Amino acid sequence: MQVMEAVILGVYLILTTLIGVYFTRRAHSSESDFWTAGKSINTFVGAFALFAALASSSSLMGAVGSGVALGIPFLFAYGFGAVAILPFTLFLVSGQIRRSGVNTLPEFFKQRYGNAVQLVAVAIVVIGMTFYMVPQLTASGLIGSYVLGIDYTTAVIVLGIGFTVYAALGGMWAITYTDLIQGSVMLIGMLVLSILILFQHDGFSPLIQDALAASPNFGDVTQPWLSYFGLFLAFLWFGIVSPSAVMRNFASRDAKTARRSAMWACLLYLLIFVFGLIVAAGGASLGIADTLDNQDMIFVSVIENYMSPLLAGIMLAGLLAAIMSSADAMLLAISAGVARDIYKEYLNKEASEQTVTRIGFTVMIVASIVGIIIAINPPQLIAIMVGWVGGFLLSSFGFPLVLGIWWNRANKAGALAGMLGGALTFLILVITKPFALVSEPIIASPISLILVILVSLMTAPPSAKTQEQVNRYHAEPTDADTKKSAG
Amino acid sequence: SPGIILVAILLVISAIVLIWWPTDIYFMGITLAGWLMFFSYFVWFALSIIYV
Repeated sequence: MQVMEAVILGVYLILTTLIGVYFTRRAHSSESDFWTAGKSINTFVGAFALFAALASSSSLMGAVGSGVALGIPFLFAYGFGAVAILPFTLFLVSGQIRRSGVNTLPEFFKQRYGNAVQLVAVAIVVIGMTFYMVPQLTASGLIGSYVLGIDYTTAVIVLGIGFTVYAALGGMWAITYTDLIQGSVMLIGMLVLSILILFQHDGFSPLIQDALAASPNFGDVTQPWLSYFGLFLAFLWFGIVSPSAVMRNFASRDAKTARRSAMWACLLYLLIFVFGLIVAAGGASLGIADTLDNQDMIFVSVIENYMSPLLAGIMLAGLLAAIMSSADAMLLAISAGVARDIYKEYLNKEASEQTVTRIGFTVMIVASIVGIIIAINPPQLIAIMVGWVGGFLLSSFGFPLVLGIWWNRANKAGALAGMLGGALTFLILVITKPFALVSEPIIASPISLILVILVSLMTAPPSAKTQEQVNRYHAEPTDADTKKSAG
Repeated sequence: SPGIILVAILLVISAIVLIWWPTDIYFMGITLAGWLMFFSYFVWFALSIIYV
C-alpha cells in the first residue's frame, strides 16, 4: 500500500465533496440552475466547466495507455478527433440548438420528431451510458489497486459500490463544482508531469529518442488504417451525440459567452493532448509496457516514476475524483432516463416522487452491477471502450440529429429507421468483429444516413408546423412571418 | 452560407490527412501521418477562433 498516496487520496475526496456541497448550497440548488445561471459566469469558468464535463479523465488515462500500447499515432488519432469536438459542434449545430430552445438530446428528438423517437433515444442513452461506466470502473480499479495495494477485482467492486452510494446520496449537487476543481487539477497535473519528464530527459528530442530506444514501434502506425479513421470519427462527433453538458452550454448561455467558452475549452483540450504526447513518450521510455497486466496502467507507472509521493498522491487523487464525478453523472443520466423519461412520462404519469426516486435508485444499482461485471475482465483498452461508446452514439444519433436540423424533409419514420438501423448495425459489427478495431461507425453511420433519407422520402413529409420550426432553427422567416409582413 | 463553411474546411483537412496517410515518411522517428494529425490540433483551434 502506498501510504502517502492513500492518505492524500482520502483527504482529497472528502475535501472536494465538502467544497462541492459548500458552493452548491451557497450558489444554486441544482445542475440545471448552474448552467442556466451561465450569464453570471465568465467565459473562462464556462470553458473549464465545458472541458471538465466533456473530458473524462479515464479517457485521458486511456489515451496515454493507447499511445504507449499501440504507438503514438493512435494517441494522435484520438486527439485528432477529440480536439475537434468543440469546433465541430460549434460550427454544425450550436446556433440551431440554441434557437430550438431544448436542453438535451432526447428533448430535441421529441420536439423535432415526436414521442416515439424520444423514447428510442432515451433507451439508447441508457445503454450507451451503462457501457460508458466500464472504462470509468476499469480506470478507477487500476488506480485503486495501486494506491490501496489490493487486487484489481476487489478495487473495481469496492469503488463501483462507492460510486453508486455517492450518486444515490444525491451526488448531483457536487458534480459541476467539483468538476471545475478536477478539471484544473488534471490540467495543472499534466503540465507539471510534462515538465518533470522533459527535465529528466533533457528536452523533447532526447525524450522521443529514449522512447524509441525502449519501444522501437513507438512512432509507427501499428493498426489498420480503418482503426484510426474510426477513432477519429467516433470522437469528432462526441460533443454532438453524447448526452453531456455540451448542448446545455449552447442552450442556456448567451450566444457570445457560449461561443467563447467553447473556443477556450478547445484550447484546454489541445493542451491536454500536447501534454499527453510528452507523458506517453515518458511512459514508452520506461520500457515496461509489455510487463504490465493491463497496459492502461502505464499512466499510473509514469506518475509513480517521475513524481514525488506527495505530487503523485495529488495527481492520482485528482484522477480518481474526476472519474468519480464522471461515473456519478452517468449513473444519474441512466436513472433519470429510465425513471423520469420512460416510467413517469409514458408508463405511469401519476407516479409519486418517492416511486420515481426508488425506481431511479434500482436502475442505478442494476447499471453499476452490469458495469462492475464487465469491468472485472475489461474487453479492451480503455481508449477502445470509450471509442465504442462514441461510435455507438454516433451511429444511432448523428444523422437523425444533423438531418433533423438541416433538412426539413427528415421525418419521424426516417429518424426511427436511422436510429435503430445505425444502433443495430453498430452492435452487430462490435460482436462479429469483421473489420479493424473501432472501425464500426465507418460502416454503421452511413447506413443510418441512408436509412434516414430513404425512409423519410418514402413516407409523408413532416407537418407544415414542424417544417416551419426547422426554418426557425436557422432564423429564417416562416410562412406566418411572410404573411404578417405582407398583410 | 459561417459554421457550414468552417465544417467543410475541417472535413476537407481531415480527409486530406486520412487519404494521403504518409506512413512511410518519418520525422524524429515518428511517422508523418502521426505528425499531420498532431498539428491538426492547432488548425482546429484556429478554426474555432475564426468562427468566434
